[in-house]
Amino acid sequence: MKPSSGKKYLRMSLNERIQHILLLTTFITLVITGFGLLYPEAFWVKWIVAIVGKNAFEARGVVHRIAAVIMVFASVYHIFYIIFTKRGRRFVFDMWFNLQDIKDMFLYLKYLIGLSKDKPKFGRFSYIEKMEYWAVIWGTVVMGATGAVLWFENEFLPIIGMEGMYIATAIHLYEAVLASLSILVWHFYFIFINPDVFPMNKAWMTGFLTREQMEHEHPLELEQIESSNTNE
Amino acid sequence: MQINKLIAILYSFVVLIIFVSVVTSSVPVKAKYSDDCLVCHEDKDLTMEKNGKKISLYVNPSVYKASVHGGADCKDCHVGYNPEELPHNPKSSGVNCNECHDIKKNPSSAHNNVKCYTCHGDHNVIPAKEFAKSDNCFTCHNTKSVSSFKQSVHFRKNISCDKCHKSGHDVIKISKKESTRLCAQCHNKAFTEVNNGVHKQSSGKGKTPICVDCHGYHSINTNKLTIETQSCYKCHLNEKLFPGKEKGSADFVAEYEKSVHNSVRKNGIPAASCTDCHGDHLIKGSKDLQTKDGILESCIRCHEKAVKEFKMSKHGNNIEKSPGNPFECTDCHGEHGILAVKLDTKLSKLMQTDMCLECHKDSKFQSKYKPGTELHINDYLNSAHYKKLKEGNPNAASCTDCHGSHSMLNALDPNSPVSPKNISATCGQNNCHIKIYNEYKGSIHDVSIQTKEKSDAPSCVNCHGSHGLLKKDDQMNPLAKPNGVVQLCADCHSSVRIIENNNLPKGIVSDFNNSFHGLALRGGSQDAADCGSCHGVHNIRPSSDPLSTIHDDNLPQTCGSCHPGATLATFKTPIHLVETAKENPLLKWIEIFYIFLIIATIGFMVLHNILDLIKKLRTKH
Repeated sequence: MKPSSGKKYLRMSLNERIQHILLLTTFITLVITGFGLLYPEAFWVKWIVAIVGKNAFEARGVVHRIAAVIMVFASVYHIFYIIFTKRGRRFVFDMWFNLQDIKDMFLYLKYLIGLSKDKPKFGRFSYIEKMEYWAVIWGTVVMGATGAVLWFENEFLPIIGMEGMYIATAIHLYEAVLASLSILVWHFYFIFINPDVFPMNKAWMTGFLTREQMEHEHPLELEQIESSNTNE
Repeated sequence: MQINKLIAILYSFVVLIIFVSVVTSSVPVKAKYSDDCLVCHEDKDLTMEKNGKKISLYVNPSVYKASVHGGADCKDCHVGYNPEELPHNPKSSGVNCNECHDIKKNPSSAHNNVKCYTCHGDHNVIPAKEFAKSDNCFTCHNTKSVSSFKQSVHFRKNISCDKCHKSGHDVIKISKKESTRLCAQCHNKAFTEVNNGVHKQSSGKGKTPICVDCHGYHSINTNKLTIETQSCYKCHLNEKLFPGKEKGSADFVAEYEKSVHNSVRKNGIPAASCTDCHGDHLIKGSKDLQTKDGILESCIRCHEKAVKEFKMSKHGNNIEKSPGNPFECTDCHGEHGILAVKLDTKLSKLMQTDMCLECHKDSKFQSKYKPGTELHINDYLNSAHYKKLKEGNPNAASCTDCHGSHSMLNALDPNSPVSPKNISATCGQNNCHIKIYNEYKGSIHDVSIQTKEKSDAPSCVNCHGSHGLLKKDDQMNPLAKPNGVVQLCADCHSSVRIIENNNLPKGIVSDFNNSFHGLALRGGSQDAADCGSCHGVHNIRPSSDPLSTIHDDNLPQTCGSCHPGATLATFKTPIHLVETAKENPLLKWIEIFYIFLIIATIGFMVLHNILDLIKKLRTKH
């Protein structure tokens, strides 16, 4: 029998959604407070300064550090989550990069430019999502490390010297640009603009995907779910 | 026979001699008669009563005998006296000197009705020669006015009454009108001067003062102060004679009393009084003083330095350029009511400043003579200096404190106190900003200004503004903004012309602005380091100078004030990375890596998603 199209498929558990919300709020906060430092004369920075008032600059630094601490806390929690919960371990297993992902990417690109008429079937996590996830892991580590150096500059100065500080600053800056652009171009496209989910993939709030979305984005996973269902 | 005749003549001659000697020997008999008189009259208490008055009948015998009349008998003068009767001659009408002395009195003489012995004495008659020397006149002429003659300069120089009033029996009265002519006989120069002065010129009114009006009749005043207080004031402070408030009025003259010329005194003598400025005999009125250099020449007698400086000033020059529109000492200092600058500092300094501003503040003069500087003066009205002055702080800088009070030179003049070379010392003068001046002295900016002909380096005014100086915490002060100092330094240190001319490091401003310190300041940080935090503010020196805050020895302290635990090694890396960044290979490669990574990654993502979007839109419809 064909399952009804109204059926919902769990994409993110409540725990995962909370992790995601922590990540997204701290990330956006860090982007705003971070680039607020780099572009003090930008119109949106001026707006914020006008609202916050005289001590806006000092507040910016404090908020940036608080957000960073929360993000690091969420990251540490995530490490515990993927080690100590069954769903977490499954998550990392599904997220792990393999050769198939690279093949998928080339197949999909072929499909996109019209060299092939078959769309490759993606599992629970496509190469698109894997890129995103591992980029976040990489970014958090790099930004956390360099950020800590810059935060505790008086402690690190005698160890790494001014040149070390310059390098930490440069990495923190470029990595921030890379991460922000990635989220904007990559993540936001697939969540908001992507015609399959437009205007927004609500899974990060509801936790569920529709069957239609499953068919479009994760047909392989859908097959696995249905085959396991029929097996039962 | 001949002999007998001779003997007879001789004999008769001897007899004559004997006879004559006998006759003449009868004089002591007469003298004896005078002695008889003195028996009674040498009594000092001898008196008689006549018309109810007690008259002394005492005659001092020694004085009488020593007098010219000492040889004469009492009866020679006291005609018709009977010694047996008392009184001796009740009908006596006095002594008639003309019996012996054939002197006719001059009917025009003032002394026509005066008895001879009133002047010549009665029993102590003195000869004419000695008489002239005595001060006999004063026994009768004992009024205050005449007695003051004894203190006069004429008396001291043995010029006696007769010099003016004539001598002998022709003593005359002198009318006021005549007096001037008499004075002129000796004082011709003064007489001519008076006639050329303002006192003669206005003589038509009949109130013109003549010699005696100022010098007195008998007292012959030569004391300047006495003449001024008694004579000048008498007329010129009289509101009836000089009414109104105009120049020359009594009110106008009275202002002198408040003036510093009057109040500053040495041994009771005012610093300057009427005659010091107006002259003594050749008295000049305000019109004469106001002619070209008239007032200046008058003031220069005492105020040499000030007037000389003033003559070189723009204001002083103006007199020669346009005599019709003079600008003189009195225009600022006032005329009679001249006030000292230091007497009432609070009042006069603000007044003085407002006086300058009266002409200069509405930009009238600025736009006419120095276009483009109009704002300077108006700025001063909002400056900290002027505000403090208004609040009553006499130490706050006024126009003259910086421009000089009389020389009044602007910054373009190398001798001016506000010229680039002198301005810092001027700001540091009188303990005004002495501490900052000492810091600034020897700084790289100061050295450049003092050694180069035309330096680009800033002096005090280039950073703080000239007229519109504001306090450090003033909201209007651009330096009070977090990024204010950086922007100020950037004005010069990012100027291509100044960098090229002075061989300054390039790009330090943009590099600083992109550093954390720079970004923080641009973002409004209250405590991030700006240029001054490291380089100093007034004491900026090159890093090679041991006194420099960025000298190797001082770096740990300078950086350490914000970053404790800093060591020399830590901060030896150049701060401004413009040139050195490219030399640090690690940093360079990290930058290249990231730029490549960003372009590649994001480029791929954009491309990927565009294709994805197109494909999905196509397959959907």
